[in-house]
Amino acid sequence: MFFENFKLALKSMWTNKMRTFLSLLGIVIGVGSVVAILNLGQSANDSIMESMEVGGLDMVNVIPSGWSREATFDEEFSQNFLVNIMGIKDVVATVSSTANVRYGQERLSTSISGVTSDFFEVNKLSLLDGEFFTATDNINRRQVVILGSDVAEELFPAGGAVGKYISIFRTQSKRYLVLGVLEEKDATLGASYNNGIFIPFNTYIQRFRKTSQVSSYTIQVEDGFDATKVADDIDEYLSSITDSDTYTIFSPAQLVDMANQIMTTFSSFLAAIAAISLLVGGIGIMNIMLVSVVERTREIGIRKALGATPKVIRGQFLVESITLTITGGLIGILFGWLISYLIVQYAGWALHFSWLAVILAMAFSTFVGVFFGWYPAMKASKLDPIQALSYE
Amino acid sequence: MSDAVIKLINVRRFYLVGDFVVKALDGVTLTINKGSFTAIMGPSGSGKSTIMNLIGCLDTATSGYIEIDGELTNDLNESELAFIRNQKIGFVFQQFNLLGRLNALENVMTPMVYANYSSRERRDRAEEMLIKVGLKDRMKHLPNELSGGQKQRVAIARALVNNPAILLADEPTGALDSKTGDQIMTLFESLNDEGKTIVFVTHDRALGMRCKEQVYIHDGRIADQDVFRKF
Ligand SMILES: Nc1ncnc2c1ncn2[C@@H]1O[C@H](COP(=O)(O)OP(=O)(O)O)[C@@H](O)[C@H]1O
Ligand SMILES: [Mg+2]
Repeated sequence: MFFENFKLALKSMWTNKMRTFLSLLGIVIGVGSVVAILNLGQSANDSIMESMEVGGLDMVNVIPSGWSREATFDEEFSQNFLVNIMGIKDVVATVSSTANVRYGQERLSTSISGVTSDFFEVNKLSLLDGEFFTATDNINRRQVVILGSDVAEELFPAGGAVGKYISIFRTQSKRYLVLGVLEEKDATLGASYNNGIFIPFNTYIQRFRKTSQVSSYTIQVEDGFDATKVADDIDEYLSSITDSDTYTIFSPAQLVDMANQIMTTFSSFLAAIAAISLLVGGIGIMNIMLVSVVERTREIGIRKALGATPKVIRGQFLVESITLTITGGLIGILFGWLISYLIVQYAGWALHFSWLAVILAMAFSTFVGVFFGWYPAMKASKLDPIQALSYE
Repeated sequence: MSDAVIKLINVRRFYLVGDFVVKALDGVTLTINKGSFTAIMGPSGSGKSTIMNLIGCLDTATSGYIEIDGELTNDLNESELAFIRNQKIGFVFQQFNLLGRLNALENVMTPMVYANYSSRERRDRAEEMLIKVGLKDRMKHLPNELSGGQKQRVAIARALVNNPAILLADEPTGALDSKTGDQIMTLFESLNDEGKTIVFVTHDRALGMRCKEQVYIHDGRIADQDVFRKF
């Protein structure tokens, strides 16, 4: 019986293709929005989780704008952060520029950074081989270097970088002992460690630049403190001691917050669209079903004469409206998937296909089918057989 | 062999139209026996269809008793009436009343869908019935691809498919030319020969006379033949 009803429903949908399509638009848009919300929510979440793993959400970067002369590195300045702002574990200063490096016949131009020994820990970098330099190396201005994975691969295609000396040119050539090679790490928010090399901060100052202007401070936030809050505090503090645009403050956590905020706004927007479209779609279904009941008054009369009980007639029309809405739901799933695909492409996330979305979409469309199909189906089931049979 | 399959006792069917009471049936008492072939005759508006609809459980009486195949139908609810229509009654209408979107075979299978036969049984029996009414090579045709006579044969096959106790035909030849009508009448006669109880409404005197019994109706009452002849 159900199968018969289902076949009938498909038949009548097919005979009124255009009308069916139009009446399904609301459901398609509604379900599409629900699917998109869930797919995107999950995709955004995945991408946030990923940056947490890679980037370290406990970091705040302070970058002097335009090599401002005020932005200098000294112990006092670092100390000031620690004293004035709650929740800072460590401050690491970095100076960087570019240099040419060579080993044997291999040579390349790369970014070179002078960093203190805790830079590696703060940035959650680990070694593939060798060891990091120490605070003592920094104080002694040793000529040692840690290579990013790409650099190591280019200079030492055969491996075995640790313990070798490479030449770094900057007005004159100097030999640096390779202490370690970094493990490959995905770029986070623009910073890639794979194609850089790292020498002790003091060595850099002595060899490459006489002033102590800093390229950036990396500030590690203490466990249990909100990195976004700390970033705001730093901003406030720096604004109070210098011009507000001397430094740019930059934290992965802030970006994640921002992404979350955008997602929330976007989700509420889509949820509103979903709710309205499902309502409008449902009313559309009710309307089309009422039209269908009127058009098929005679058919209902005939079926009753042949022994269809009111329940059977009701069932027939309910199956029909559910078939309609589920068809709308299926199209909506494709539609929602398309929307999420486009947005994810734009946002640069990986698309997460949410099965929950499919299940919810199906549940929603079934519900709309039952809820808005009920009244027309009741109406059909209550038709008087004789009047229905004499309907022209 | 004269046990009653239909009994109407003092049946009235009144309609209220505005302030008027239309007495479509006004006290009809009638017994129809198993295996009979009864013509119900009378002028237009005399109440023939009203009787058929009451016997067929499509309508309920204002007062009186109606017994179908031993069952009193007065107090049955919608679903119970639907069950009787499905199991005990086969209806054939003047306007054929086939389901336009279904082919001949599907039309004939429909009453069995409501009786919960398996799809195999439905198909077998529907085919059997269509062969019986002479439409072996028209099973997959839609109603609008069939002639009037063929449509009525499909309708008859459909009415017979659940093997009902009573076959009700309300002016089944009314929309057909006389030759086709005659063929349909012949089909009814052969069905009656096989034992089917048939109630046959017509205002065609010749056709009515071919039935075994005649009931004359006038202004919602049974009239005797002599009175009827005067009209
Ligand atoms: N739904 C109705 N409302 C009012 N009057 C009706 C209705 N149905 C039938 N009638 C009246 O009942 C009488 C009998 O009708 P009907 O049984 O259809 O006659 P017949 O089939 O003999 O031509 C007619 O006068 C008709 O107008
Ligand atoms: Mg009539």
